[in-house]
Amino acid sequence: MSEIKSFNLQKAFEASGVKEVLDELDRDLIGLLPVKTRIHETASLLLVNKAREELNLSKIQPSLHMSFTGNPGTGKTTVAMRMAKLLYRLGYVRKGHLVLVTRDDLVGQYIGHTAPKTKEILKKAMGGVLFIDEAYYLYRPENERDYGQEVIEILLQVMEDHRDDLVVILAGYADKMDKFFSSNPGFRSRVAHHIDFPDYSDDELFEIAIKMLKEQNYVLGDNAVTILKEYIAKRREQPHFANARSIRNGLDRAILRQANRLFNKGDVELNAKDLSEIDYEDFALSRVLKSKPPTQP
Amino acid sequence: MGKPKNKDRYKKGGVMAYKDMGYWQPDYEPKPTDLIAMFRITPQDGVDSIEAAAAVAGESSTATWTICWTDRLTANDKYQAKAYRVDPVPNSPGEFFSYIAYDIDLFEPGSIANLTASIIGNVFGFKPLKALRLEDMYFPVAYVKTFAGPPTGIVVERERLDKFGRPLLGATVKPKLGLSGRSYGRVVYEGLKGGLDFTKDDENINSQPFMHWRERFLYVMEAVNRAQAMSGEIKGHYLNVTAATMEDMYERAEFAKSLGSTIVMIDLVIGYTAIQSMSKWCRDNDMILHLHRAGHSTYTRLRSHGVSFRVICKWMRLAGVDHIHAGTVVGKLEGDPRTTAGYYDILREDFVPMKLENGVFFDQHWASLNKVMPVASGGIHAGQMHQLITLLGEDVVLQFGGGTIGHPSGIEAGATANRVALEAMIFARNEGRDLMAEGPEILKNAAKFCTPLKTALELWKDVTFNYTSTDAPDFVPSSTPS
Amino acid sequence: MKITQGTFSFLPDLTDEQITKQIQYCIDNDWAVGIEFTNDPHPRNTYWEMWDLPMFDIRDAAGILYELNACRKVYGDNHYIRLSAFDNTHGWESIKLSFIVNRPKVEDPGFRLVRQEVDGRSIRYTTQAYSTDKPSSERYRD
Repeated sequence: MSEIKSFNLQKAFEASGVKEVLDELDRDLIGLLPVKTRIHETASLLLVNKAREELNLSKIQPSLHMSFTGNPGTGKTTVAMRMAKLLYRLGYVRKGHLVLVTRDDLVGQYIGHTAPKTKEILKKAMGGVLFIDEAYYLYRPENERDYGQEVIEILLQVMEDHRDDLVVILAGYADKMDKFFSSNPGFRSRVAHHIDFPDYSDDELFEIAIKMLKEQNYVLGDNAVTILKEYIAKRREQPHFANARSIRNGLDRAILRQANRLFNKGDVELNAKDLSEIDYEDFALSRVLKSKPPTQP
Repeated sequence: MGKPKNKDRYKKGGVMAYKDMGYWQPDYEPKPTDLIAMFRITPQDGVDSIEAAAAVAGESSTATWTICWTDRLTANDKYQAKAYRVDPVPNSPGEFFSYIAYDIDLFEPGSIANLTASIIGNVFGFKPLKALRLEDMYFPVAYVKTFAGPPTGIVVERERLDKFGRPLLGATVKPKLGLSGRSYGRVVYEGLKGGLDFTKDDENINSQPFMHWRERFLYVMEAVNRAQAMSGEIKGHYLNVTAATMEDMYERAEFAKSLGSTIVMIDLVIGYTAIQSMSKWCRDNDMILHLHRAGHSTYTRLRSHGVSFRVICKWMRLAGVDHIHAGTVVGKLEGDPRTTAGYYDILREDFVPMKLENGVFFDQHWASLNKVMPVASGGIHAGQMHQLITLLGEDVVLQFGGGTIGHPSGIEAGATANRVALEAMIFARNEGRDLMAEGPEILKNAAKFCTPLKTALELWKDVTFNYTSTDAPDFVPSSTPS
Repeated sequence: MKITQGTFSFLPDLTDEQITKQIQYCIDNDWAVGIEFTNDPHPRNTYWEMWDLPMFDIRDAAGILYELNACRKVYGDNHYIRLSAFDNTHGWESIKLSFIVNRPKVEDPGFRLVRQEVDGRSIRYTTQAYSTDKPSSERYRD
């Protein structure tokens, strides 16, 4: 007589700490609605899979390798870190750390150098998540002796044989990734989860900017709201726009200008408000806005 | 330096209180280079505890029963030992802990004989005291560095033996007395072949009518080498070189070396100078030095009088032995768990913090002096393996004498039973299992593939030695809220 | 014969699952795990061949097992393989745990004890592995 067991998904969801990670994700990350939805779906799938395992309905470790596509600065790395934590809580990886690499970390410089280099990284990533940024650069069809091919072979082998030991996330631009997958069908068949990261809207980037300033104990002065919005709109039109990353760089420069501005005031007493407020002037001098005279508040 | 001393005493001469002669200095702050001794003092009725402490300080340093003008030819203030603190012993009326500081220049560098001649030379027979016990000592690094310490140390011993990650396993040959050399070697061979790392001469095996020492050495080394070839593993036997004279001991040690032994053994009763001589010899000859603490209980066991074994441990680490018997807790010989933990820390750690509940009264830096491997021996058996490893850790030699040789299926079976129990327990510990809770279960499972272990567990399952300890610490552990 | 070097030689040969747990114990203690192999099992042969370098900064035992399996593929049939965990803490700076994880597939012929009679009754003993009577490439083969 077989024992009848049952599984309470809600309880498992709360006890595993997965809920906590998902709540954090929803709370901490601005925008990214489609990404959040996909991650919620993935979490549910994995949780149900665990339940099926418990009741002996499924024995196969599902393929968890993923691709994260999207433009730079759309939160792929940040989400990957949360994903590692999530997989750890769900019991799909044993340690939950994230090892972040690019082509240079994997490909060697001479014959016999690549395999040990790649294996070194793979060993360190085992028990966690290996995040390969701009993964398509591993494949260089124009050079048939490129050592990247060796990496790809080892990687495919490990992705297949060590599903229990590590999860690989391939990340990069959507179009380049598509090309990569079509010329490397081995990856396409091994990557089960594709998550696309859309660009942030202007309003989302503004919100992100406010949050970034707050994290460093700065505030945006009332007179700077309009110019920051204008900055965001203009920055998007510039080459090499990288979403949140560009905003962070812009803010870093504004903070620098603020320091300069305060220093040039000379022998005066500054209070906490003076030291933490980013003003109109701190953006006004930006190269981004130079193309047209900035609007006065 | 300190408060003004009572110089008038020299004018008057005669007898005066020790505490007024400068041997009691409650404001004294020990210098970083001072040695400190902590005595448990039981003054005679009517003798003031402070005067008693000052007397101990005086009698163990510069003073005699009367004032001598010749003190004035010396830097007497420096050479006077200074009692600076006297505390009543918790729950022991009439007993006091007194702390006495000694200037480093009172001692010859690198000599335990000189140290002990001062600290325990005269004072233990002093009439105004009912009893006196040296509880602990602190040695400044400047003094520690005058000793070479253990010739081999735990780490190098393990490297030489190629044995890591588990206690070493030994057994003392039984019967202690009466075997001929040829029979003796048989016991050694069976034990080592069965899985022991070491076998051991007992403390009183020297060169008696029934077995000349050379016979023992020759047969034992045949057994050691044969067992080594049968197992592919390094084996050893502590050849006891204890003898009547230093010359005899050197002769025996040299013979052991010529036969390829990795280790020799001495007894504590040969004296501190002989121990240091043998340590030096071992250092010069790549030999591990095993010390049997024969005789120590005559002065370490009683709580109120004598020298605590923790002090002996410190002296022996300085003098330089590689192994010392330091108690089993669960076996047939004296050993309170916390007191014993204190000994083990003193022998094995590079820095030993003060821990009153373990009877350790001072922070002690060993300044990278080699570590001493404690030996647990006396009335222990395989069924206690989980307790032994939990209490004593892995850097220890576990010696099962009766527990090996008394095995009904023979010595080899006894040795195998112990080795399997040992490895299974370490294996389980590394897997994260709770040894104290699951120990018996782990042993039972190991016995499924090892019949000798099954027999041993069955035979000795009820053997325990539960007597009240005579040397428990005076301080109870304070519970720390977690 | 069964050579009893290493920490767990008196236990039945370890499964990969058991090896994994022991490796994880080493990693969790911050010890670097190295893989070594030999076909010269003399008890005083200290320096077995290293399979690459000891592995530092590995988080999960799977990383070490991955290399062990690679080593087994090449040497597993006719070599001993052991894992050694190294602790670089001051005051130790040596091996903390070392155990055999692979034995040659053929029975080890064991050791010969050579006795040389010297002065008086003294004898010099020399241990020789029968396996090393053959050149390295022919050891532990049927």
